Amino acid sequence: MILIGLMLLVLALLGAPLFAIIAAAALLGFWHSGVDQSVVAIEIYRVAEMPILIAIPLFTFAGYLLGESQAPRRLVRMTNALIGWMPGGLAVVALVVSALFTAFTGASGVTIVALGALLYPALREAGYSERFSLGLITVSGSLGLLFAPSLPLILYGVIAQQMDIGQPVTIDDLFLAGILPGILMLVLLSTWGLWENRARQLPLTPFSLHALGSAVRESIWEIPLPLLVLGGIYSGTFAVSEAAAVTAMYVLIVEVFIHREIKLKQLARIMRDSMVMVGSILMILGVSLASTNYLIDAEVPAKLFDFVRSHVDNKYTFLLLLNLFLLVLGMMLDIFSALIIMVPLLLPLAIGYGVHPVHLGIIFLANMQVGYFTPPVGMNLFIASIRFEKPVMEIFRSTLPFLFLLLLAVLIITYWPALSLGLLSH
Amino acid sequence: MDPVAPSGITRALRIIALLEDSLLVGLLALMIMLAAAQILLRNVLGSSFGSSDQLLRILVLWVGLLGAVAASRDDKQINIDMLSRLLPVRARLGVRFVVDLFTAGVCILIAWHAGRFVHSEYVAGSVAFMNIPAWIAELILPLAFGLIALRYVLIFFSHLRRFLAGTPVP
Repeated sequence: MILIGLMLLVLALLGAPLFAIIAAAALLGFWHSGVDQSVVAIEIYRVAEMPILIAIPLFTFAGYLLGESQAPRRLVRMTNALIGWMPGGLAVVALVVSALFTAFTGASGVTIVALGALLYPALREAGYSERFSLGLITVSGSLGLLFAPSLPLILYGVIAQQMDIGQPVTIDDLFLAGILPGILMLVLLSTWGLWENRARQLPLTPFSLHALGSAVRESIWEIPLPLLVLGGIYSGTFAVSEAAAVTAMYVLIVEVFIHREIKLKQLARIMRDSMVMVGSILMILGVSLASTNYLIDAEVPAKLFDFVRSHVDNKYTFLLLLNLFLLVLGMMLDIFSALIIMVPLLLPLAIGYGVHPVHLGIIFLANMQVGYFTPPVGMNLFIASIRFEKPVMEIFRSTLPFLFLLLLAVLIITYWPALSLGLLSH
Repeated sequence: MDPVAPSGITRALRIIALLEDSLLVGLLALMIMLAAAQILLRNVLGSSFGSSDQLLRILVLWVGLLGAVAASRDDKQINIDMLSRLLPVRARLGVRFVVDLFTAGVCILIAWHAGRFVHSEYVAGSVAFMNIPAWIAELILPLAFGLIALRYVLIFFSHLRRFLAGTPVP
């Protein structure tokens, strides 16, 4: 068994699709313990038994559609009219816009593609250095993961709800818990933007009511969207899946029929492209339901808990090790696979050490956010490298100051649970 | 896709791809409209059509698996791929052969077991919702895994062709 496990690991590192590796492990596991392997198919079918999952295709589709329309341009223009007059305003604009866009598009790398092309030249033109601008854009691509309705938050909730942990983990709670830690990251990075550029004479755009007015008129159809979705979710009017349905329908009507920026022919391609991403995530989720089932049958989480318990005796050491582990994990795996594979193992462990399940979700995502731009596999490094035609290592170097600030944020988020849990009502 | 294959096969593959994509886009459109209509009905009329929740959940599975089929066709499944970049070109192709065949093999196994599952549901006469038999809803499992296996067999042959022609993997 160990030999086969090693072979699967090597195959994974050689580039075999993760779903095939996990499926092979599940098939082998059930075969080994004499269970009919059609149980793997039955487990995959459980994807059709989770009502909340519909939020994933609907939000992803809406995000891809927004990314292909002119909405990013309008968003930049409006945010610039609102806060561009402040010193360092454009850097803050870039951070805020990216966070908002990432939250709505599910953190799939779309942000750098859709917004980087607008923000990078704007930053350079305004006098920010190449290095600062590159770093800012690359890091911004994963900022906003902690804000509703980001897909990783939803996915964490879905997985946690699947498990019998004795404490409810609602997606509404996760959405509330992400707000302050997300704002902390925004504030830290914005402050750095101001400090780093304090010596540069950057031209300020004076505030103009006229410019703001015309930006608002231009975006009049998109402005209600965040209000509708976030207002609907936080006030309890909409369930998450309903908010997703409203978003998909609304974005479809606005971008295709009102702005007419997406032709019907393009629409079919965008629908397909967005479902390629959804399919590759749901595939891993499906086969992981089977492998997790096998792991629980084999009492792996319990054995893991006993093992860790005998080596780590307090919560704070556990949290520190958790941070290190998640940072390394984030360098290897994308956020979706990492969530699907590791949460079933880590959640019982964390609860055993007295970590609140919602807090664990925020810690997990905050760590993974850093993994987006760390070598060797950080997705945003590669996207930025292709988009701006710079070597991956140069992009990575440009993100270093931001990396340290986000690591600081991760530590604060980890050791100050009230930052995440303070807004929860119970 | 594969100029070595005879044109009849190429045409058949193109038709399969078109069918997959049309079904994917059609079902996603249905999902969006049904989900929106459901909210409208629930909030405005205070009612809902009986089984739309079950139908939506099954649509998620179908759209997800068809999306995964499309991802395989584009060779865009999520992977880690840390080691193969370090290998020389010829060795990298050799590695790809193994990986392609492994993936195809796993998918064929799952398609086979899923087929047995669907057959047992057919024999048992289980019902998904309303009068729809469960085996119809579950049919996508063997179908999607079969199609994904087919893609990886094709990807294997395209890598083999490149290996024989001596051109590197992109």
